Amino acid sequence: MGEKQNLLSLEDVCIGYETPTGTVRAVVNATLSLSAGDTLGIVGESGSGKSTLAHGILRLLPKTAVVTGRMMFQDVDLLRCDAKTLKDLRWKDIAVVFQKSMNSLSPVHKVGEQIVDIYRVHVPQATKEEVYDRMRHLLSVVNLPDRVLDLYPHQLSGGMLQRISISLSLIHQPKLVIFDEATTALDVVTQGQVLSEIRRLQSEMHVTSILITHDVSVVAETCRRVAVMYAGHLMEVGPVDQVLVSPRHPYTQGLLASFPSLSGARRRLRGIPGTLPDLKAEPKGCVFAPRCPKAFDRCHESMPPAVDTGTGCTVKCHLEGSER
Amino acid sequence: MGRYLGKRSLTGLLTVIVVLVLNFFLIHLAPGDPITILAGMDNPSQELIDITKAKYGLDKPIYVQLWTYIKTLLKGDLGHSIIQARPVSQLIMERLGNTLLLTLTSAVLALVIGTALGIAASRKPGSALDNVLSLIAYVLYSMPGFWLGLMLILLFSSTLRLFPTSGMVDARASYTGIAYVLDVLKHMVLPVGTLTLIGIPGYFRITKASLAQVLKDDYNTLFLAAGMDEKKIFRKYCFRNAILPTITTFGMRLAYVIAGSATVEIVFAWPGMGRLVMSAINTRDYPLLMGVYLVTSVSVAVWMILVDIFYAIADPRIRYS
Ligand SMILES: Nc1ncnc2c1ncn2[C@@H]1O[C@H](COP(=O)(O)OP(=O)(O)OP(=O)(O)O)[C@@H](O)[C@H]1O
Ligand SMILES: [Mg+2]
Repeated sequence: MGEKQNLLSLEDVCIGYETPTGTVRAVVNATLSLSAGDTLGIVGESGSGKSTLAHGILRLLPKTAVVTGRMMFQDVDLLRCDAKTLKDLRWKDIAVVFQKSMNSLSPVHKVGEQIVDIYRVHVPQATKEEVYDRMRHLLSVVNLPDRVLDLYPHQLSGGMLQRISISLSLIHQPKLVIFDEATTALDVVTQGQVLSEIRRLQSEMHVTSILITHDVSVVAETCRRVAVMYAGHLMEVGPVDQVLVSPRHPYTQGLLASFPSLSGARRRLRGIPGTLPDLKAEPKGCVFAPRCPKAFDRCHESMPPAVDTGTGCTVKCHLEGSER
Repeated sequence: MGRYLGKRSLTGLLTVIVVLVLNFFLIHLAPGDPITILAGMDNPSQELIDITKAKYGLDKPIYVQLWTYIKTLLKGDLGHSIIQARPVSQLIMERLGNTLLLTLTSAVLALVIGTALGIAASRKPGSALDNVLSLIAYVLYSMPGFWLGLMLILLFSSTLRLFPTSGMVDARASYTGIAYVLDVLKHMVLPVGTLTLIGIPGYFRITKASLAQVLKDDYNTLFLAAGMDEKKIFRKYCFRNAILPTITTFGMRLAYVIAGSATVEIVFAWPGMGRLVMSAINTRDYPLLMGVYLVTSVSVAVWMILVDIFYAIADPRIRYS
């Protein structure tokens, strides 16, 4: 896979939130690349920095956030490009389905009116009918009647709003869509439909997607690659059939053990004892060391760098490449 | 909506009736009465007092008086002022226009200026502009209207001689047409200015607080992510969401515009409702007081319904529930 084909590449991205009591290190040295047509899943516990990373890609973070490193979308430097370039890119090339879809529309404007406004950002002369025609198709994809356009957000259920957000993200046929917990509020049936639709979009419309979720089984079903995030670090990144089948990182192993087996075999679920570390403190060793069952001396001294395993995976673990 | 309006009108009517009865008892039970005042301080003749009392029906038990008052009201008559010996409705109509000129103008000005300043301050929270405006609003908020009025008179009338000190027209000149209008406008500047200045902080603070809340709403992120201009997001979406509490405040203010502002009217010797009420209270002019209070309570009731309607138009969450 050559450099040229990369749609999105992140290099050593760090994102910190400045707070009166210190900096919250929400994303630390994230390096990741995504080629066109790929589907990447990002899994991790709540608070591990997944949404922060997603917002960082479109420069949507609050002013208190400090971002360093490099983020390239095709040949655009996302962190340093001017406002015009960024504005042109937003929604047309990169769209997001936000985690808080239920609140992501204005409560005092009709759904359709807001969608028309969003469409007109890039196609100013579009008529209401054109936008409605487009939306009608996209809404049918997520099993919604087009009458939702004439309603107000409070007249719709959480799942309906989430499905509207999904259709809205596709309105300009973006090259990259980031689904931040996009299917969490949906029932199993709809979730299945939406996921298969995402898969179809990926193959037919060549939509590249990033799927942020807590649910490893969703990643297993939908994604080709997966990144496992813990306390701001991308602990293990690689193809799904490797990372989820033979995980190298003790955290990934623990995470998989906390979910019902994908093959259906019944066994006792194990959690990972302990909790996420305080992201404000600068950890001395590996962020996972305090909870890691396999931690040894070095783990308490330094954070391991990302190591290429030679099988298409990168792993941040001292066990990697050392005496296993 | 129709059903809802019917229900609201009915409760409004009930409120007005309850207020009317309560007021009637309060006013009549308060110490002092108009006849004693009419008769004068120096050796009033008991005979005259008794005759006058009987003439106005004040010698009857209070519930009989109330019943008589209500019967007159039902005929569309607000009664006669005891002290001024003229129909109450006439007295009120004379003053109402003058008062509305002051209160309506200043209510609208305070709304527009206070909201605009609130928006300006919210654009850059913590900036020098925000701090200065907040300080001014704080100072204005703690200033009594009559005192501010006096200070404005001292500065603009006595010292700078820009505006007249009091009244609504220049009594010595008998202007007509345009000249009359200009004269009234000149007399309006200071009292309207006073009322506007003390009205501004309320709108300023509400707008600021509401915008601070609304700017954090999640739809801001969506529209931003969609590439929409921040200005457009603000103008169309934040503004509409933030304006809801302002509608309520303004509506409440409008409900009371006809009551006038007694202190400011007294300071500027403005012939309005506020002064009418004050003199009616001082002379225990029962029918006049009842009339003014009735008109005020009807106005409040009607405006509360109108505010509800405006609010429902602005906020669909209320309209459909
Ligand atoms: N505006 C902010 N200011 C300070 N800290 C923040 C801010 N937003 C998020 N954080 C912190 O950054 C960390 C990462 O948050 P983020 O929302 O990215 O987590 P997440 O992985 O998306 O979690 P979830 O799965 O619950 O959505 C958390 O510890 C959170 O407390
Ligand atoms: Mg999140």
